Amino acid sequence: MSGETKREAARQRIAAKRAAEAAAAAAAARRRRTVVGGVVAAVLLVVVLVVVVAVQTHRTSTSADAAAPAGTSGNGYVFTVGRADAPVTVDLYEDFQCPNCKALEDSTGSTIDDLVTAGTAQVRYHGMAFLDTDANDDYSTRALNAAAVVADTAGTEAYQRFHDLLFANQPAEGGSGLTDDQLVDYAAQAGASGQTVTTDIDDLVFGEWVTGAEDQASKDGVTGTPTVLVDGEKLTDLSPAGLTAAVSAAQQ
Amino acid sequence: MSTLGPWAATTARLLLGGVLVAAGAVKLPDPAAAERAVRAYRLLPEALVGPVAFGLPVVEIAVGLALLAGVAVRGAALASAALMAVFVTAVGSAWARGLQIDCGCFGGGGQVAPGQTAYPGEVARDVGLLLVSLALARWPASRLALGGRAETELADVR
Repeated sequence: MSGETKREAARQRIAAKRAAEAAAAAAAARRRRTVVGGVVAAVLLVVVLVVVVAVQTHRTSTSADAAAPAGTSGNGYVFTVGRADAPVTVDLYEDFQCPNCKALEDSTGSTIDDLVTAGTAQVRYHGMAFLDTDANDDYSTRALNAAAVVADTAGTEAYQRFHDLLFANQPAEGGSGLTDDQLVDYAAQAGASGQTVTTDIDDLVFGEWVTGAEDQASKDGVTGTPTVLVDGEKLTDLSPAGLTAAVSAAQQ
Repeated sequence: MSTLGPWAATTARLLLGGVLVAAGAVKLPDPAAAERAVRAYRLLPEALVGPVAFGLPVVEIAVGLALLAGVAVRGAALASAALMAVFVTAVGSAWARGLQIDCGCFGGGGQVAPGQTAYPGEVARDVGLLLVSLALARWPASRLALGGRAETELADVR
């Protein structure tokens, strides 16, 4: 083998080695870039997560100075009627736009009122507002706000009368809801009238409280309306007989 | 593998990415509704409801953007599959427990009137997206991707 060919072979070996080294360096650089990119992306994601969670938490916390109606009991979202020493408690979760709630009120509402009058049951009204639509101009919220205005002005028995009136005159689901003027009229019939009542209904003065009430119902584990609890037990038979039986059983 | 494969992967990326970004974005404007939607599943303690309700859209959007851009496609596809598996499980459990809720997949959510639930459709859609995610994780090489990694994978395909 001549010296010339040996040198040629050595040059080739060196070139091949350099190419391999360059490829390894490039691969290492690519890996580094991938790792650095991954870490940067992960840190960025965590930062965005924390910021968004903080901002949204701030947005959902009800401000401490949000207007709340007078006359509530318990957690501030309940209106209670009936004697405090009544042996049985009935909790009602309803949306003023909910057709099944109207069906309950039409069939069993008078039985509920009779139980209250007789001193057998204390009824706790939990308003909900999840059937707002553009078509009904957020009727669920307007109706519950109006009910809170009535209780604020004239007490919980007026709330009960207003509640009965709104279910007796419930607007069709998918319709345009009752107008604010109609709500003011029913408020007057229930015993709450005056300029303050009108403006409080028009201005949705307890709008933020309504949102809180809806959240509270969700926290109470209520996922459908109407929900009726007799001494905390969910009632499945919502007929007058079903309610009467459950109340009698609760008295035992 | 045919040359159609990478284009199919691109279609899968755009479909999953679009769905995830849209689903995440519509949950951001009304955080209170997002909380109620999560709470309505009755799976999480109250302390976790907020973080999940507010954090989930961020994760959805991040995974969706990665898929749309074509960056870290395999990882993003696996993340998407994990999200879909969680959604299928959550909706399925709500269905099995007889809860009357909307899945809140695209905003809204929370309780609905009896007979207004749509569990079969919601589960079928999420299972479909789960399968697409898994297929994309298996064959991540696609056209119109920004990520460099996919290019080398594409070279292997050719």
